[in-house]
This record gives sequence, structure tokens and C-alpha cells, in this order.
Amino acid sequence: MKKYIYQLVILSGLALAAGSCSKAKLNPSSSTGLSDASVFQTKGRIANQVNGLYAAVRSGQFMGGRVPIYNDIRGENFINETGNGVTGLLIWNFTVGGGDTYINNTWNAAYLCINQCNLFLDGMEATGNKVVGDDLAKKYNAEAKFVRALAYYNLLQLYATPYTKDNGASPGLPLRLKGIKGSGFSNLARSTVAEVYNQIISDLNDAESGLPADYGDDATNVVHAHVNTAIALKTRVYLSMGNYDNVITEASKIVPAAAPFKAPSGVANALVSDLGTVFTSYMTAESIFSLPYTGAAEAPAGQSQLGSYYLPPKDYSSQGSGEYSLNAATGVITDANWKATDVRRNYIFTDTKGKKWWTKFSSPSPYLDWVPILRYSEVMLSLAEARTRKANAVDAQAVALLNAVRQRSDATTTFAPASATELINDILQERNIEFLGEGLRSIDIIRLQQTFPAKGAAVAVAPTSQNYMFPAPSSETAVNTLW
Amino acid sequence: MRKHLTLLAVLVLSSVLAFAQTKLITGRVTDQQGQPVPFSTIRVKGTKKGVSADADGNYSIRASIGETLIVSGAGIELKEATVGAGSVDITVARKNASLTEVVVVGYGVQKKSDVIGNIASVKGAAIADNPVQSFDAALGGKAAGVQITSANGVVNNPPVFRIRGTNSISLSSYPLIVIDGVPTFTGDVSMSDAAANPLASINPADIESLDVLKDAAATAIYGSRAANGVVIITTKRGKRGKTKVTYSGWVGQTKATRLWKTLNADQYMMIKNEGVANKPGATAKFLPTNGPDGKEINTDWKDLVYRTGISHSHALTVSGGNEATTYFISAGYTKQNGIVVKNSFERKNFRFSIDHKVSNVFSLGAQAGYSNEINLAATSTGSLPGQAYSTGGLGRIALILPPNIAARNNDGTYNTNGAAIGPMNNVNPGISYYNPLVLIENNHTSTENNHIQANAYLQLKPIPDVTLKTVYGVDYLLSDNDFFSTPLNGDGYPGGEAINSNLTYKRWIWTSTGQYDHIFADKHTVGLLVGTEQQYTTQLGYGIDRTNVTDPFFTNGQGGFADNVPATVSGNTNGLRTENYLVSGFGRLNYDFDKRYFVSGSFRRDGYSAFAPGHKYGNFWSASVAYDIAKESFFTNSGIGKVINTLRLRGSYGTTGNISGIGDFDSYSFYGTGLYNSNPALNFTNSGNSNLTWETSKKTDIGLQFSLLNDVISGDVAWYRNNIDGLIIKVTQAGSTGIPGLQIPTNIGTMYNKGFEVTLNARPVTSKNFRWTTSLNVTYNKNMVTSLAPGLNNILYTTSGLEQTSITMPGYSIGTLYLYPTQGVDPATGHRIFLNGAGEQIEYGHETASWTYVKSGAAASKINPAKDKRPLFNVIPKYYGGFENTFRYGSFDLGILATYEFGFYVYNGTQASIRDNRFWNSSVDVLRRWTHAGQITDIPKIVYGDNISNGSANPISENAQKGDFIKLRNVSLGYALPAKMLGRIGINNARVYVSGQNLLVITKYKGPDPETSTNGNDTQGQGVDRNSVANGRVFTVGLNVGF
Repeated sequence: MKKYIYQLVILSGLALAAGSCSKAKLNPSSSTGLSDASVFQTKGRIANQVNGLYAAVRSGQFMGGRVPIYNDIRGENFINETGNGVTGLLIWNFTVGGGDTYINNTWNAAYLCINQCNLFLDGMEATGNKVVGDDLAKKYNAEAKFVRALAYYNLLQLYATPYTKDNGASPGLPLRLKGIKGSGFSNLARSTVAEVYNQIISDLNDAESGLPADYGDDATNVVHAHVNTAIALKTRVYLSMGNYDNVITEASKIVPAAAPFKAPSGVANALVSDLGTVFTSYMTAESIFSLPYTGAAEAPAGQSQLGSYYLPPKDYSSQGSGEYSLNAATGVITDANWKATDVRRNYIFTDTKGKKWWTKFSSPSPYLDWVPILRYSEVMLSLAEARTRKANAVDAQAVALLNAVRQRSDATTTFAPASATELINDILQERNIEFLGEGLRSIDIIRLQQTFPAKGAAVAVAPTSQNYMFPAPSSETAVNTLW
Repeated sequence: MRKHLTLLAVLVLSSVLAFAQTKLITGRVTDQQGQPVPFSTIRVKGTKKGVSADADGNYSIRASIGETLIVSGAGIELKEATVGAGSVDITVARKNASLTEVVVVGYGVQKKSDVIGNIASVKGAAIADNPVQSFDAALGGKAAGVQITSANGVVNNPPVFRIRGTNSISLSSYPLIVIDGVPTFTGDVSMSDAAANPLASINPADIESLDVLKDAAATAIYGSRAANGVVIITTKRGKRGKTKVTYSGWVGQTKATRLWKTLNADQYMMIKNEGVANKPGATAKFLPTNGPDGKEINTDWKDLVYRTGISHSHALTVSGGNEATTYFISAGYTKQNGIVVKNSFERKNFRFSIDHKVSNVFSLGAQAGYSNEINLAATSTGSLPGQAYSTGGLGRIALILPPNIAARNNDGTYNTNGAAIGPMNNVNPGISYYNPLVLIENNHTSTENNHIQANAYLQLKPIPDVTLKTVYGVDYLLSDNDFFSTPLNGDGYPGGEAINSNLTYKRWIWTSTGQYDHIFADKHTVGLLVGTEQQYTTQLGYGIDRTNVTDPFFTNGQGGFADNVPATVSGNTNGLRTENYLVSGFGRLNYDFDKRYFVSGSFRRDGYSAFAPGHKYGNFWSASVAYDIAKESFFTNSGIGKVINTLRLRGSYGTTGNISGIGDFDSYSFYGTGLYNSNPALNFTNSGNSNLTWETSKKTDIGLQFSLLNDVISGDVAWYRNNIDGLIIKVTQAGSTGIPGLQIPTNIGTMYNKGFEVTLNARPVTSKNFRWTTSLNVTYNKNMVTSLAPGLNNILYTTSGLEQTSITMPGYSIGTLYLYPTQGVDPATGHRIFLNGAGEQIEYGHETASWTYVKSGAAASKINPAKDKRPLFNVIPKYYGGFENTFRYGSFDLGILATYEFGFYVYNGTQASIRDNRFWNSSVDVLRRWTHAGQITDIPKIVYGDNISNGSANPISENAQKGDFIKLRNVSLGYALPAKMLGRIGINNARVYVSGQNLLVITKYKGPDPETSTNGNDTQGQGVDRNSVANGRVFTVGLNVGF
């Protein structure tokens, strides 16, 4: 009998062992993906998340390709060549509908980026700030706010009524400031355009105070935001709001009253003498902020690369898809005052059939051109415009700034405008030339409530038209009942 | 010492003297039907002498003439027989079978008469000799409620397996398969173009019984995995008695049946050129080419793709044992060639089990099965899920390649044009399809599975009523995939591609149970089970995908190739590494009073790792009652009681869950890695649902069991309803939420299945020389989706990523065919008539590619899926079942099984393919095409390039056909060789048989077989037949021998 008791004890022990649950196995962690709970656990992961925020804004559907492209092809300087709805035909001719895949893709990519910023800010507040310490926390939070501001600003330029139409009183965007994981958050009414701009300014002010003045290396100074980056973006934001006083205030922080035009503090951003280096070596003093594509592993997504849209399909040293040629009939290249001696005209390539193509972004497939987002020359011209509009007279500093930009590329031209209007027109035309292909054209048209000119088979679109801005994307309206 | 020896001699002598008065009596114990009764006890009345009969009922005992033998045993009535001069064969009466049969239930066995749950039992012998790769394929028609659909003729392709309808929308609807206590892996595990059903590792001949658990009373003990029903496989174990050796084997052939009839070369050129003439601007011309024999080429591509496949199978078993130890050993080999060239299945399997009784209290045992399976194919058959539109899919290119071209040029080289086959003399046909001969001769794709299933147990019976048992089991499935695509033609052109990948599934399970059984005061029977279980499963997969072969010599992934990337494993570009863990406690209490009133309850608490903290645990339970009216004295004493032996009412209700198909980390959110300016970046890539949990089935079952006339007729009727809550639906989130992918799996949908099952068994004739048994089962099932998610009106299903064939929406059964309604051909124009969303007839003329109103001839808008498609036809059979008859006359036996399904439609997409008016070859149907005004026909005018009128580019109702069928699934005729003759060569018994599978199908369906599924086991894509190869017809000759 004793034997059996032993056996019973052994078996019961085994049964108990079998019955005891393994807590570790019941709460497994993936060894191939970092869980949301773990990404704030180490300094390294938090730093990588910051890189991830920039990578998110660099999405080919967003700032890394399609948004700059859309902002250019909405303007008058390009002609659609392929008739392909996938590569912006309906955006070029202003017939895009709310169900269009591509305007939905851009919307979704922008908010994916915004949500990632929000999740990052939430996570930093909860645990991350302690992990990295005060100094890094301040910097990282500032970077997240910069990226969020950049994303919201660019969404406004495509999907919302321009601020200048009614001082931002129109419905703008769903303003999401808290990170979202899981379901149940679809419904959110739009904030007004003004409210969204206020948030952008607030984020950029925070960024300015939290960002480092200088990272100490050229690459990081171009691909991460620093103090001057936040200031430069603010000048663009205030310009879109028509708030010229603040443009002057912000721009003056980095643009001195007289030549040489070089930021007096922080990264020594400046007007470089050789414009070409901006688009070939990328890491220049002029490049306040660019989105990098470094190596094949980072190659931009197909049908979202600047080069593939604008480069000709043949004849040229780098082949593109030839999606858009230059508008040789009514585009900015017809400007007689833009002289043949201007080095910027070197970017125009004429193929064997006489068609003209824009080759500013000229690296071959897989098109690793960096996407310029903020350049020093833009801040100079924004300052010039704001000073002129504020003075409503020919402002000497404004003229100097304009001439500095022009003469960098064309030493033979000196502007001497007779009136404020003439000066403003000269500045706007200079912007049109200087930033051709860099995604500023539509932004300039809508802030001034101008009509999009007709081009090729596409008709003109007035600010009063329904299709002046993108329609509401269906991926939002189909689900967000409070839209 | 000497004294002792003397004493011994005296003792021996006296015992010899004593025995001399008795003699050795031999005999056999059989039942009324002449079947042997194994292991009965034979005693000499009035003595303590007793022996056991062996497994075949044979016994031998010493007794004197005139003494009385008493035979007793489980399931037989006590019988006495007097010892005479010769052998004493004893015929005993079996007790009411339903009272003595034992049924396997979850975590135990019960007497069939005590089971309240709805369980259908199938004997292993019923499927042992079927020429199938896996046992599940042989279950069709065998049990009420079980629906098996053989998807196509690709060997070792898992059949569609449903118990009582489709019980999920997004997850799997395949039942839980438990083999000797270890839940195993199901579904196609192949990553190559050869299918690999992991259930094929079990040799059907090694199976003792298959028990299909259907209602909550039977399944709730399996908790979160039981919503689709549970199938418990029990493999054979040794029995006490002499060593028994058996051999069973068969050899057979399989052939494709009912293939489409396609045009020959002349007909093809006539039809295609007619189409070209009817299409303004068409530049194609279809011209003959002479072959090497100087005659016009006339190729039937089906001859190249299909073949007569030869198969054979052999299984050897050795079993036996004594009082303390029993064992079973088996080894098997089978090679089965399918109907498609180079498609084959080969299995080597070994299995052993041993049970040992250390003492009356303590026993232990172990078993292990190992199998090696090689699933081979030359190239894609185009028939597995996702392959329907493969450019090289053999099922389709066998039908649509032009018959006026050949696979080889006249100089013997392959006829190719880049990746495609060359057009020969045809002008501008634009052929994009591959040359099947190049693919068949040069490509190969295989999945080799090494599968180990083993377990060991310790059991203790400290007191007679208590059994404590602990079992540890493993199921390791190691799957190697090999894939090579030639650079000469097809997908691999021009660089060639080789992919090697491994996928490893590993599971261990540890189950401990305690069972207490006691009868109080003779009438109160109590059975109590308590148990715990842990199950841990890992999946690991990786591989390499190599392209651009450096020398045509290399044909595998270890050869020379220029470019390498990791192979994608289950959608993961860097391979797969995942795990899950299930921890459970469960219990069951059975009580009956006087075998008349039965009550039972079961409970299980499951914790599952895939769910987020706070949602990991769930409870499942069932309650059931039964009432055996025939046991009441008022009933037995009444007149009706003489006719009705059994009359039992039962009912059960309970809950079960479904987790099959939930990703191991679906409730968690993840960040993926990337690069930003060459620095590592982390991005939010996957938003999980931290509230995710199982789908819940609430099952009700009400049944009636009966038997009449001493069990000559028996039956079972059941009504059931399964309400499924919390169906997982991928709910779309607003774009501005910034959720990656914008979809989150959410427990939100609802659906039900309801129906009834009828099983009738009868033994119309049971004379000594002739026996006839018959069994009919009928299942009626109605499936209805009742809700999806707020704002989600429907879920569209796309067959193989290209054609939206099916829709799932509230108010319809799952996966209803979603088609453009068409109404024949306009006799005036020969154009296909469509019915648009407004109910107006419009027609399509491909001559100018324009749409017009039939009535007015005015221009109409072209068809638009959102406006004009409609949910039209149910694809889930309303009625299905089987009808089985067995006849035994003398030494002959004849078994006939017919299966049937009624009340459903099949979308015959293949018909759309072979009525396409591009260069594709057509079925002979097009010979009755519209050619002149006023002609009434179902085939529109042939206009070259038209893929709209026939439904090739857009699914039309013209191609939906009733699938109703009756199929002669299995006929086998056997003959038992005379025992006398066999005895001389040391053989106990031997039976030879011939059998045929899939011999005849009665249906109005126009494709080869209405029993088909292009989308495999997918819940939402049933009833679609698109370019798949058909099922084969099999003939076998077999032999079963016992030594």
C-alpha cells in the first residue's frame, strides 16, 4: 500500500506541475517585431523612433514624393504626358474625386505620420523622458512637434480652404493630438483652419525652444530639424496665413539685414554660391531641411519619385517615366526676363522632338534625389515679400534679398522695381523660377487666392471653384461620422 | 534432495493422471451474425478454470465431456454450452449494441448508451482501404452533419471540411483534429505548388476510430477551439492475445473524368477567324502549321497535362500482448500518382504503441508515429487557392492553349516566345500563356514533410473508482519546400528562380486528468472528470529566394544564382517566428438515475497567449439532459415497448470558441524597422486590437434516438442551432486615426447555422448466408449572416486576387455569389443581354465595345460593379449526406456508398474561360454560337477579343449553375478466401477486393465536377470553380491478410 501512496504522490506532483501555468508563455513577446510597450524602454529605440518620424514624413505618398509633385503639377508649369490616373492626371487637371486612391493615400500617409508623432509624444511623457534624460527629451519632443507641424501644414495646403480666404474660419482638419492605437477613434469633427494653424505655430514655437542650435555635422543638420529649421518653417506658415509681421519677425532671426546672407546663429545656413550643389551634394548650408534617400535600401516607392515624374523617358542621361514635361506655352520657362544665361535654365532639357523636361532631380533610377523641403533662399524671398507688403513700398532690403537670389544664378540681372507691386511680382516670379519642381507653386497660388492658370488640356480653376482644393477623402468621410 | 525429487515426481505424475481425465477443447465464440467475439471469458462451470478467447474469438480449455462451459464478456449475454466430442463453437447473443458500444469523448471514453452529446462515430475499418492521402478525404457521406468537399484532383490537397455549416467569416471553419489526445496541425502547410495536408501523416489503415463531436455537450470541453466541431482520431493499439500480423495493400489507377470537350485545330481556326471577321480593326489571323509529319498540327493540350496515375499502398501491422503488456507496430508505404502529370504523393510511415500494466494500480504506455511525406508537382496546377489565374496554371492552359500549335517546333526545340509559348503560323494572337511542356519537363516544386506525433502516459488507479492519468505529447512537423522555375519559359524566364524554405511547426501538450466513477445505491451513476492542460506551439520559417541562375545546370537553391533575397514565409518577408500557448482547466460531471434520467455538465477555462492582458481567459460550458423513455416500466410493459427498444430524448446547450486563424500577436501593436539616412528608424506598423478575443458559438441541440424491432432499424434525429457572436471582422478606421492599414480585427459580426440531421440504419436481411445493412444520413443546414459591423454593408470576396465572385452580407448566407445578372442572347444582334441595377435590359456589342438598351438601341452606361452586381445564389448546400449499403453473401461482400448535395449553386468560372473570344481555345459549346438574326441560342456572336459577353472579365449569372449532385463515391466488392485453404499456408484470413471511387456523378452541372473549391477551405469563397483540375476516378485492387 505504501508503494501506491508514493506513486500517488508522484503522480499528483506531476499533475500539479502540469497544471501550473507558465506566465511567460501566456504573455509572449514577438522576437521579430518591437512591441509598442518596448519602444520606449531604451535610449536607442527612442532615438530610432525619432528617425522613424522623419521616415514617416518622407513617405512617397507624402512629403517624400507625391505632395511636392502635386503642389507643382497643380500649377501652370507642367504638362501631363502619360494620361495616367496613377501618376496625378486627375490632380493635374483638377478632376480628382473624393474616392480617388491617391488623394486618400496621401491623406492616410500624412495622418499615419501625425499619429506616430502623437504616439511618440504620449510615450515620451509616460516613460521615455525619464529613459533619455532631460536634454535628449527636450530635443526629441521638439523634433516630434516639428514633424507634426510640417505634416499638418502640408495637409492644409491640399485639403482645406486657404487661411487667407476667410482668416481660417472654414472647417479645416480633424486635429488629432493624442496617439491612437486600436479602434473606436474614427469620429472627430474638423477643427477650423485657424485652429489647426494655431496648433502648428504652437508646435513650431515649442520646437524652436527645444531643438538644438546645431548638430555639429552637415548631414544631421539637413535631415533633422534644428532651431533654424523651425524658424524657416514658421516663415512659410505665417506667409500662408498672410501674417507678414510674423514672417518678418521669424525670417529676421536667420536672415541678416545685409549681405552676406547667412544665419547669424545656430547652423550657419546661407545662400550658397553654387546652386547646383544643393541638388547634387544635398548637404549644403542652403539646405535647411531635406528628406534624404540614401542608398538603394531607402529607395523611394515606385511612382512617387521626383525624378521619375519629371525626367524624360529617353534621350537624357537619366531616364524617367516622362510623366510631366515643362509647359513651353504658358509656363514660367516662357518668361523672357529669365535669361538664357541663368544657370537655372540649365535644368531644362530639350529632347529630339523639341519637348522640354525639367532635370533638377537627375539621379537615375531608383531616383535617390533628396527632396528639398526648406531652403535658405525661400526664407530670403519670404522676408522680401513680407517687408514689401508691410511697407507697401519698394523696400531696399527686399530688393537686396531678391537680387541676391537672382544674381546667384544670373549675375547679369539686377532688379530695380519702380513700385511695391512690381517688386512683389518680381519676388513671386523669382519664387516660381527658384523653386520649380520643389513643391511650392500651388502653395503660393492658394495663399494669394489666385486662379490656377489653364495649361494644355486643363482649364483654369478659380478660388471660388469647388475643385480649387482637394475634395474630402472618402477614407475619412465614409467612416468619420462627425466630418 | 532425493526426497524432494521423489515428491516432485509423484506430484507430476498425479497431475498427469488428473488431467488424463479431461481433454483439450477448442472452439470459437461468435455472435448471431457469425462475427467473432473477441476476448470473452470461458469458464468450466463449477470450477475455477477459465481462459480468455483471443481477438478472433478462438479459445482452448481443458474440460471433460459433459461439463458445461460458461461464456461471458463485455457486451454479450451469458451463455452456456455443453462439452461434447468435437470442438465447441459457441454462438452468443450480443447485448443491445447501443448499450455496449464505447464512444470516445473529450478526455475519455463513455458507454454509447451514457453519452448525451451528439457524437458520430466512424470505424477506422470503414475508411482503411480508401485510396486517399489523408483520412479526412474519406469521411464524406459517412456521418450526418459532416460535409467533405474534395476541392480538385491535386493529390494531398486538404478537402473542405465542415461540420454543421460554415461557422466563421474571417477565421478558419476547419474542425479541431485531435489525434490520440494531441491536437494536430491542419490546412495546407505547403509553400510550394504541391499541396501538403499534414493529416496525411496518419495512415488511414492505422486508425481505430474517428469520432465526430458536434454539439456543445460533446465539444465544450475543448473550449476555445471547438466552435467548428472536434474530430477525435484514435489509432490502433495492441490487444491481449497471440501475436497478430496483418498486411493490407492495394494498387490502383486514377484518371480524370468528365473533362471539358474543346475545339480541335480546324474548329478553333474557324471560330477564331470568324471572330476576327466580326471585329473591325482586328489584325489577328489563325492559320495552320504543319507538324514534323507534314500534317496540320492538332494538339489536345489536355493529353499533355493529364495522365493515368498509378498508385499503390502497403501496410504491415504486428500486434499482440499478454495480461501485462500489449503492443502495436505498423509500417506503411504508399506512392500515389495524381491525374496531373508529375503530381504525386509518397509516404513512409511507422507507428508503435505499447501499454504496460505494472500492477493493478499503476500502468503506463507510450506511442509514436513518424512519417515522411513527399508531395511533388512539376509546376502550378492552377488549382490551389490563389492560383486560379496563374499564367502557367496547368488546369487552365490545358483548356485554352490554341490546338493549332505544338509544344515543340518541328526541329524538336521547345516552341517558345520569351516567357510564353510561340504562336507558330498564327498572326498577332498575343499569346501570353506558357508552354506547359517546358514547365513540366524543367520545373519542379515539392514539399517534404517529416512529421512526428508521439505521447506517453502514466496512469494510476489508487482505488477502483478513481483513475488518474497524465499524458505528455508532441507533434513536430518539419516541412521543407523546394521550388525551381526554369529560365527557358514561364515565370522563371529569363533568369530562372529557385526558392528553398523550411517551415517548422512544433507543439507539446501536457494533459492531466482525474476521473471518478461510482454507482451509488445501484441506481445513481456519477462520473466526474477534472483536468488541466497546457499546450505550447511554435512556428519557425525561413528560406532563400534566388534568381538569375549563373548556369542552366543549376536547378536548386543551393546552386549558382546571382541574386538572393529572403523567401517570404506566410507573408513575412524576413521569415516567420511565432508562438502561442494555451493553458486550461476543465471538468465534466455526468449523473444518471437508473439509466433513465441523464444530466451532464462540462466546463473549461482557457487562457490563450494571443490575447491582450485582461482578455486572456475565457470560460466555456455546456449543460445537457437526456431521458430514456424506453427504460420506463410503463413503456416496456406497453405494446409499443415490444416494438421500440430505444427511445431517448436529449437536449444540450453550451458555448464554445474559435481561435483558429487569429494571429499569435494580433492583439499587440508593433513597430517595424526601417532606415532614415542610413540610420535605423522605428515606425508604427501594426496596430493590434487589445480587446481581441475568440469568436463565440452558442450551440443548441435537441435530439431523439430510437431503435425498433430488436435494433433492426435504428436512427437518430437532431435539430441544432449555432449562434455565433463576436465574429472577427476587419473594421475600417477613419484615415485620420493614423492606424497602419486602417483596419483592425474586431469581434463584432454575428451569424447562425441551423438545421437538422437524420440518420437511419437498418439491417433488412440478416440470414446466415446473406446480410444486408443500410444506412442513410441527411443533413439540412441553413447559414445566415445576421450582422457585420456598423457602417459595413458587405464584405466582397475576390477569387485569386482577380475576380470578385462572392459577397458576405447580412440577410444572406456567407459567400453568396455576387454576379451581373444576364438574360441570354439577343436573337436580333447576337449580343449578351445584361440586366442593369435599374432593372433595364442592356446589351454589349464588342464590335464597337459599346453598351446599348435592348429595347431602344440607345447608348447605355457600361456595367458597374457597385450598381449592377447582385447577390444571387447560395453556395452552401442545403441538403447533404450519404447512403451506404453493405451486402454480405457467403464469402462475398459488397459495399456501395453514394453521397449527395442539394440546394446550392456553383459559379462555373471555367466555362467563362473557355468561352473567351481572345486567342483562347473554347469548349465545343461555341459551335452553337449566334450567327444570324433571329437565331435563338445561349452563345453570343463570336467577336474577336470579347471577354465581356461570356463572363471572362466579369462574373455573370449565365455561368452560375445548380450544383446538385448524387455521386457514386465508393463501390467495393470483396471475397474472403476459404479459411481451410489459408490455414494450410499459415494464414488466418484473407480478403481480396476491387473498388472504385468517384464512379458516377449525376448532376446538371456542366463542369467536370460540382464538388469543387477553387478557393480551398476559405469560408467566403466557396462554390467557385475557376480553372481547377477536376477530381479523378480511381480503381483499385486490394488484399487484406491476417496471419
